[in-house]
Amino acid sequence: MLEIVYDVFARKNRGDQLSHIGYIDALDDETAKVYAWTTYSEENWFEMCIVKRSSVIAVNLTEGIFAKARGDDA
Amino acid sequence: MNEYVDVDAMSPVDRAALKRLIMGLADSKRLMGIRYSDWILGAPTIETGVATSSMTQDEWGHARLLYSMLKHLGEDPVVAEHDRPAEAYGNLSVLDEPAENWAALVSAMVIADGAMTVALAGFAGGRFEPATSRVAKMVSEEEFHVSMSTAWYRRLADASEEAQLLLRAATDRQLPVALAWLGTNDAAKEALAAAGVTSTAAEQVASFKDAVRGVLASGGVDVDAVAPAGEWDTDRGRGLGQPDADSIERARGDRNRALFVE
Repeated sequence: MLEIVYDVFARKNRGDQLSHIGYIDALDDETAKVYAWTTYSEENWFEMCIVKRSSVIAVNLTEGIFAKARGDDA
Repeated sequence: MNEYVDVDAMSPVDRAALKRLIMGLADSKRLMGIRYSDWILGAPTIETGVATSSMTQDEWGHARLLYSMLKHLGEDPVVAEHDRPAEAYGNLSVLDEPAENWAALVSAMVIADGAMTVALAGFAGGRFEPATSRVAKMVSEEEFHVSMSTAWYRRLADASEEAQLLLRAATDRQLPVALAWLGTNDAAKEALAAAGVTSTAAEQVASFKDAVRGVLASGGVDVDAVAPAGEWDTDRGRGLGQPDADSIERARGDRNRALFVE
């Protein structure tokens, strides 16, 4: 089954820094939102958002998960 | 709606209709939760299983809130939750048996959970005060269920031929039953709609069709061409039949009776 990796970011309270809290695999953006919300439900998050890992632009590392996720299309 | 119904002033017929509505919704929620829970460990991915677990919790939480509304009718919710036989359950009959495969559960997510949400929205918009204050939150929590069900239905509808056949078989079996559950306009439903407690059967069917038309079309199903199932139990406000014995044991908590703290 072809799945997409999404990184999950959240903040507990208004004004907190947005933090990377994990990742999920999903079929598409809609299921990714559901999976992120239900998988990382340990906190009553003020805000949560997700980013397709393939959309993340690596700045300083040419190795590592974010750089690899972009592949040759970066 | 700005004036709540006075439950104590309702006629016995209307009170019985309101009780039937609450029981039908609560029982459906409880059985839907059981159907979700069956797939927590068997879902196609870990994330899907976690989401299914969360949906189970949602459904059981909703069921408990709905059962608690029986207190406004002088009924004991504990009896309703834990001491009724299978033949007294008023759930949407699509949920009587476990989903035999993932496609059947996905279909039930769209059709059964979708029909329940439409019925709840009608109840939330009516004049029964406990429903107006509590049910709206349930409906908002169902938004995640819709996202999940829609994505999975479309995915299976575009998957292998076997997946398509399983999805279509489940849809063909479930959809007429759900249409009858919402749309059978018997005396109890008419009375509640006339009292402003909930929306009319016709409104609910129209709302349900609007909600599922697109996603079902992805599986080749024209919701407007499907007729409702014919069998109807007026006492319970559902189709004929009853949930399987194992599910009722779980719904009632038979194995945990010694641990009840209520």
